[in-house]
Amino acid sequence: MNILRIVGAFIKLNVQIALAYRSEALVQILLNLMWLGWELTSLAIIFSNTTELGGWGPAELIALLGVWRLVNTLMSIIVWPNTEKFNQGLRDGSLDYTFLQPANSQFLVSVSRIELWRLPDFIIALALILVGLAHSGRITSALNIISFLALMVSGFAVLYSLWIVMISITFWFTKFDNNVTILAALLDAGRFPAQVYPFWLRLLITFVIPIAVATTVPLQALRGDLAWWEIVGFLALGAASVLISSRLWKAGVRRYSGASA
Amino acid sequence: MLQIFRRLWAVNWAEQWQYRANLLMYLLFWLVSPIVYLAVWTTVARSQGNVNGLTANDFAAYYMILLVVDVLTSQITIHVLAPEIQNGTLANRLLLPAHPVLTQVLVNNIAFKALNLIALVPIWLVLYALFQPTLNLNLLHVLLAVPALVLAFGILFLLGSALTLVAFWTTRVWALWNFYSAVFMLFAGHFVPLALLPPALQTLAKILPFSYTLYFPIQLILGKLSAADVAFSFGMQVVWLGLAYLIFHVLWRAGVRQFSAVGA
Repeated sequence: MNILRIVGAFIKLNVQIALAYRSEALVQILLNLMWLGWELTSLAIIFSNTTELGGWGPAELIALLGVWRLVNTLMSIIVWPNTEKFNQGLRDGSLDYTFLQPANSQFLVSVSRIELWRLPDFIIALALILVGLAHSGRITSALNIISFLALMVSGFAVLYSLWIVMISITFWFTKFDNNVTILAALLDAGRFPAQVYPFWLRLLITFVIPIAVATTVPLQALRGDLAWWEIVGFLALGAASVLISSRLWKAGVRRYSGASA
Repeated sequence: MLQIFRRLWAVNWAEQWQYRANLLMYLLFWLVSPIVYLAVWTTVARSQGNVNGLTANDFAAYYMILLVVDVLTSQITIHVLAPEIQNGTLANRLLLPAHPVLTQVLVNNIAFKALNLIALVPIWLVLYALFQPTLNLNLLHVLLAVPALVLAFGILFLLGSALTLVAFWTTRVWALWNFYSAVFMLFAGHFVPLALLPPALQTLAKILPFSYTLYFPIQLILGKLSAADVAFSFGMQVVWLGLAYLIFHVLWRAGVRQFSAVGA
């Protein structure tokens, strides 16, 4: 398969890049552990003052922290590094070479940089999810677990598509190199259940910049809070956003004329 | 000296004005976490009436004032100075007969602050309308807060500069900054009004400088402090300003001595 060979080549290249910055990796891991400590401390402080937050108990918030970290890790491994490369390429024209290659350009732009040193973050995130679920005392059915996993995938697909939309917009407004800031900024709001936020903010992070679709929603499915039609609706949203964003990307590419032209 | 500051102001204001679109994005980034914590704590307060005596309105008032205080006292020295140390352009500034950090970097911070403040006004009003906190401000407290805010900015500017100077020795200064930010968020009263911290952390917060740069001015403006508290906190501000200057001064002297720009 052509795609697999390309991914293989990218991984090989990025392993070489990562190996050149070994001490950086250690610093990153330490910092990540420090923030984990901070986040758990902040949860401990919240729950020393209350027993539940918007209907969610401490264990469930630990699981949510895990899901939020999983999304963050995916963002740091592929989305942020590739944004940097894309914006750079758009400015200096090196994006030309990406389009000249005989492969899907959206795919090339999405995976050419992989921040491998963030991989240990996955383990932390998964551990938080498992520990949180084990202590939450809710026995979840197999069906709930399956919808949780499906919604996680589709939630990330929504965020990824939003990213594609945001960078595609840069084809029309070249100066817009703050294209992903709003996504990065609002990501922080995913650390707590969307039910906590005032109505306008909940709307914002569910429909406009749908962070909650990738964090709160999957966990709600796991808790059994969602009706079947809501689950189907969110999954359809994921599929639709992938389709729409790739359309927009293609339209953007047709507009692209290179930095020198 | 005044002449120098006036010229630097003109240059830095113009420079910051160029980046006004970036500024909006920066503000957006910075706004999210206070709003998130405001939402978290008001939810808790609503579900049980109050948290340790603080009602939902108290939290709303606290965070609305926090937004203003934070803009007034925060600093961006690392973003300005660390690249200059790392790429060697600081060498040019060292030739000038004025302290580069205490003139250029300081004025740059203030210009950034001024522009931020202008952008914050409409955002603040919208948030005020959304959260509708009852603010009982009294003129005396607001006036007293002016010196408190100046001292607070002084402390944070010197601490931030001292931290940035570590770039003379290591390229890992950003990791250090990350760590500093985490400590700051917890002990300054960003994550939670400090009265809700566990006792051990509260004691630590009383010793560290951070609470005097954010929590103290907020509580002062809200009129929550006794005269004795106010006097003590002002005292601590002065002590920390002195200490911060000392740390900054020592690091600067040592750093400049061992600084060698690329190509020198």
